[in-house]
Amino acid sequence: MKGFKPSAPFLLLLPAGIVLAAVVVVPLLLSLYSSFTPFRLTKPETFYVFIGIRNYLSILSNTDFWWAFGRTVLLLTIALNLEMLLGLGLAMLVEKATRGQRILRTLMMFPMMFSPILVGFQFKFMFNDNIGLVNNALQSLGITRDAIPWLIEGHLAFIAISIAEIWSSTAIFAILILAGLLAMPKEPIEAARVDGCTPWQTFRYVTWPFVMPFAYIAMTIRSLDVARAYDIVKIMTDGGPAGRTELLWTLVARTAYSDGRMGMANAMAYFSILLSIAFTVYFFNKLAAARTQIGAEW
Amino acid sequence: MDENSSARLKRRLTGIVYRIGLFLAMLTICLPGLWIVISSLRPTVEIMAKPPVWIPQEISFDAYVAMFSGIGKGGIPVIEYFRNSLIISVTSTVIAVAIGMAGGYAFARYRFRGKSSVFLGLMLTRTVPGIALSLPLFFLYVRLGIIDTHFGLILAYVALNVPFTIWLIDGFFRQVPKDLAEAAQIDGCTRWQAFWQVEFPLAGPGIASAAIFAFLTCWNEFALASQLTRSVSAKTLPVGLLDYTAEFTIDWRGMCALAVVMIIPALTLTYIVQKHLVGGLTSGAVKG
Repeated sequence: MKGFKPSAPFLLLLPAGIVLAAVVVVPLLLSLYSSFTPFRLTKPETFYVFIGIRNYLSILSNTDFWWAFGRTVLLLTIALNLEMLLGLGLAMLVEKATRGQRILRTLMMFPMMFSPILVGFQFKFMFNDNIGLVNNALQSLGITRDAIPWLIEGHLAFIAISIAEIWSSTAIFAILILAGLLAMPKEPIEAARVDGCTPWQTFRYVTWPFVMPFAYIAMTIRSLDVARAYDIVKIMTDGGPAGRTELLWTLVARTAYSDGRMGMANAMAYFSILLSIAFTVYFFNKLAAARTQIGAEW
Repeated sequence: MDENSSARLKRRLTGIVYRIGLFLAMLTICLPGLWIVISSLRPTVEIMAKPPVWIPQEISFDAYVAMFSGIGKGGIPVIEYFRNSLIISVTSTVIAVAIGMAGGYAFARYRFRGKSSVFLGLMLTRTVPGIALSLPLFFLYVRLGIIDTHFGLILAYVALNVPFTIWLIDGFFRQVPKDLAEAAQIDGCTRWQAFWQVEFPLAGPGIASAAIFAFLTCWNEFALASQLTRSVSAKTLPVGLLDYTAEFTIDWRGMCALAVVMIIPALTLTYIVQKHLVGGLTSGAVKG
């Protein structure tokens, strides 16, 4: 028994390791290799031509790519921050509710079950310039006379996409922050009030530090899946109008499957992978730091 | 006016503002979904109407009938897509949960070197964007001849789900006190028996929620499915939804109906899972 023990976790993790190696790691190595080739789908023989880092160099000087990259980072920054704030607000609203909290919690989770592709579709429908709910409502209320070209004008389309993105992911923050709020002991808040803290001070120095790790768990989960914005953009605008909402991921898909330039697309894909990893590692570290800070509680 | 009554007034005002805020928040959350359901039940003329018709004048299930009556009637093969989605999601969920249980148990019950880096490594495989992963998988699958098959997509989805399943299941095993299994072992159980008879039943609800979560991930996945499937034989519902936009005129009502079909299983399952999900996420392997 004693000689067996150290290898038990290894054995238990082996299946996971095998599957992930076969489906993720090895294919990624393959795609790393092919990012050094001029591989085109239409010309299979180009797979064996080695051209070094030429793909990467041409990406670095490609303005379209940098626009898409910048736009992706901008979208993620806006979306993640707003999701966090709105999630916090929503969680506090629901926590205050004295009656029907269970129903409110269920409703709050509602957007989570929507697949991103559905979220994209539903907002494409709502933001449609001609028959969409948003324009219909604005026109009926007399706020605007002309239809607003939500998905047709570049900036507006970006805003519409951000709204869709935020709508779909605020729930995960709200749920986890709410879990934190509910798990929080009430005594420190009362003590703070007795000591004469303003509500803001109570929130800032008592509630927030306690809830923070939960927010970071949400951030970590969320950052695992940042690329889901691809689905939303794909169905809402497909990168249009004229590439104004092109994100890193739609650009990769376009380069690979529409233009058939696999080598180039793989090189771009590596940028997107590094971006995702950067987000995840960042939040993972934040989470670890937040955890040690409050250590004792959980 | 004395201080008392002004404080009371202020309190009442805050209450009203709070109610309005809550109402608006819930409205924003629910309205898009409700609008889809309503639109799927009203005739296309009403959807297109200018000025808009707010209250549906007549309710019809035509869109659903058309959708399930096959390709001939201008619908898309929803039944096949539905079947594909179901087969792929269920199979890959079962496999992913089996693998995830083994992995989660390892994280929850054993100490080993490099534990947190192994965990981070697992999570990092999950961060690879679906579209980036689809490039080499597409190439490999074509070579192996498993493109556009159930098997290919199941394989991909198992890998997609394993990391997160491990995270969740780890959390649920942690909530089961270690002493229980030890007590069982002292009473003469083997570790294997102790696991199945003590720890597994206790972590059962949590594992079920992890399974549902994995199922939903498969059910909703689009980026990989859209590249790794091409025909009716393996396309899933999210890819099918895009079929509607490929046409020049978008059939809004049909899309809404399909959206409702997609959302109902997800809705039911999430409702079941909600209680345990949060517990698993917050007490998971992030606890070192």
